[in-house]
Amino acid sequence: MKFQLKNIAIAMIATLAITSCSNDDDTETISGEGTLKLEFDNVYGDANFAFNTPYTNSNGEIIKATNAVYIISNIVLTKEDGSTYTVPKSESYFFVNEADVASTLLSLPNIPAANYTKVTFGIGVDEAQFNAGADGQGDMWANAQAVGMTWPWTAGYKFVKFEGTYTSAATTTETQYKVHTGKTGDVYNYTSVTLDFPEKALVRTNITPQVHIMADLKEVIDGTTVINFDEGASIMGGTKVQNIMANNVPNMFEVHHVHND
Amino acid sequence: MNKFLFIATLLLLVSCSSDSELEYQNIPINYQVPSNFPPLAYNMGNNPLTEKGFELGKKIFYDGRLASDGVVSCGFCHIQEDAFTHHGHTFSHGVGDGIGIRNASPIQNMAYQTQFFWDGAANHIELLSMSPISNELEMNGNIIDIITMMQNDSQYQKLFKQAFENGTINSENMLKALAQFMMMLTSSNSRFDKYKRNESGGTLTQMELDGYALFNQKCASCHATDIFTDNTFRNNGLSINPQIQDNGRYNVTEQEVDRYKFKVPSLRNIEKTAPYMHDGRFYTLEAVLNHYSSGVTDSQNLDPSLSNNGTLGIPLTDDEKTKIIAFLKTLTDNEFLTDSRFAEF
Repeated sequence: MKFQLKNIAIAMIATLAITSCSNDDDTETISGEGTLKLEFDNVYGDANFAFNTPYTNSNGEIIKATNAVYIISNIVLTKEDGSTYTVPKSESYFFVNEADVASTLLSLPNIPAANYTKVTFGIGVDEAQFNAGADGQGDMWANAQAVGMTWPWTAGYKFVKFEGTYTSAATTTETQYKVHTGKTGDVYNYTSVTLDFPEKALVRTNITPQVHIMADLKEVIDGTTVINFDEGASIMGGTKVQNIMANNVPNMFEVHHVHND
Repeated sequence: MNKFLFIATLLLLVSCSSDSELEYQNIPINYQVPSNFPPLAYNMGNNPLTEKGFELGKKIFYDGRLASDGVVSCGFCHIQEDAFTHHGHTFSHGVGDGIGIRNASPIQNMAYQTQFFWDGAANHIELLSMSPISNELEMNGNIIDIITMMQNDSQYQKLFKQAFENGTINSENMLKALAQFMMMLTSSNSRFDKYKRNESGGTLTQMELDGYALFNQKCASCHATDIFTDNTFRNNGLSINPQIQDNGRYNVTEQEVDRYKFKVPSLRNIEKTAPYMHDGRFYTLEAVLNHYSSGVTDSQNLDPSLSNNGTLGIPLTDDEKTKIIAFLKTLTDNEFLTDSRFAEF
């Protein structure tokens, strides 16, 4: 009996302990703010991306890139309960430049602590921002010029810049190609994507998750729409730019993994 | 005691004025839309017009240090007495004597328009300045250098603080100040305006009235409203100059439907803005009307309004041309052309 009581007591204590433990977990109030980082890791198809490295496209054209910059904008994070946090618009335009490693890691401060499951972002400058004129742009024009991303003849910005040289069966000497996308007249060509995280990003006051995003530059020119440089190697307007932004760029991005530490 | 009070008061005044020198000065400019104008296209909600914002914009407009050669300011090619065009220049010469391929457009009533430049390269008054400042043939400016120059200039330091609540010297505030200056460049006091508003000095002669009636019949479908543009792009039948091969709106959109189309320009102060057309090919208003009556050529995307059952152009007799030109000259606004608020010196 005594033994039984002791057992019961132990069991009760243990239960209490477990309960209290799980209670702690359930009611753990996540509060405060932290930082979340988005890392943009450029790849080309199934290979790592590097400048001056030959890559063969589906049309047989071989490219060697010398420049790759794109604008990431309007970042929205979705929590596990479906609610969202929007990074303030004036702090939400980034130039991701392959030539500048620091620019490929976007640090987003003041993010409410929570478990995040998705990120949504735009590529380029949206119509609302163009309609707002200079408002909210801060230093953007200067920042853009520093990486050659102004597009003066549309009084705006290049959204994606992808340049280098190419060769093909018909073009045997290395010939320069340029892909510049942006607003073309009244067509804004802005696009956005939503990416699911394979594991939750746990933003805490003491945890800064890093979301590792693969950005496949092959998709820009060799995606749903295939760009044949032999037809013209300066892609800076018209339906080709519209197709690149509408059909190809949205397929560039994928979250590979999330670090929570 | 009195002396002490006087000195104390003086000190107070001095300290006040030196403080406010570097503070935001919210002195609004009460801008009124002229009653004969269409509504403003520009929403100034995020850029309220103030005395200091306008003053800063004017300083930037006339500052040659924006250009790579330190000389070619905005006002270099946009001269007030010529309705802010480059008097007599078919094409303007920018830095290093670079010559462009387009005739400088007037800067007036921009806040009522939705498309800017001959090809519509910009559609917002706050953003349009990015183009000429950066263009290699025009000002060839480097915005990073421009901002650094302003940050090191005591007058700019003061004016940005006075003009904007955040006082920051950056491209956003620079563009906003330029927009405030351009917003104020409103031409609305020509004899025609006064006629429309039944104001004194608004008398038109019979010939001018006849010209206005003809204009409404034959020209106003494109040169619409009292701003005299419908903000569209059209091919008005100018023969293609093979040496320039200017594709117009196509340069911005790369759409075949836009090839050879140019913006319908406003006609305000037209008497003062010769030469005419996107390439400044006509030196007189007579030459312009002769083009419409007998010089229209057929090319890709010719505007349908200029081709009726195989007949090209707009039928106009010599008498009608004379009357239309008489009317067009009533659009000259001497108050605007000589307004000392807008003057460089």
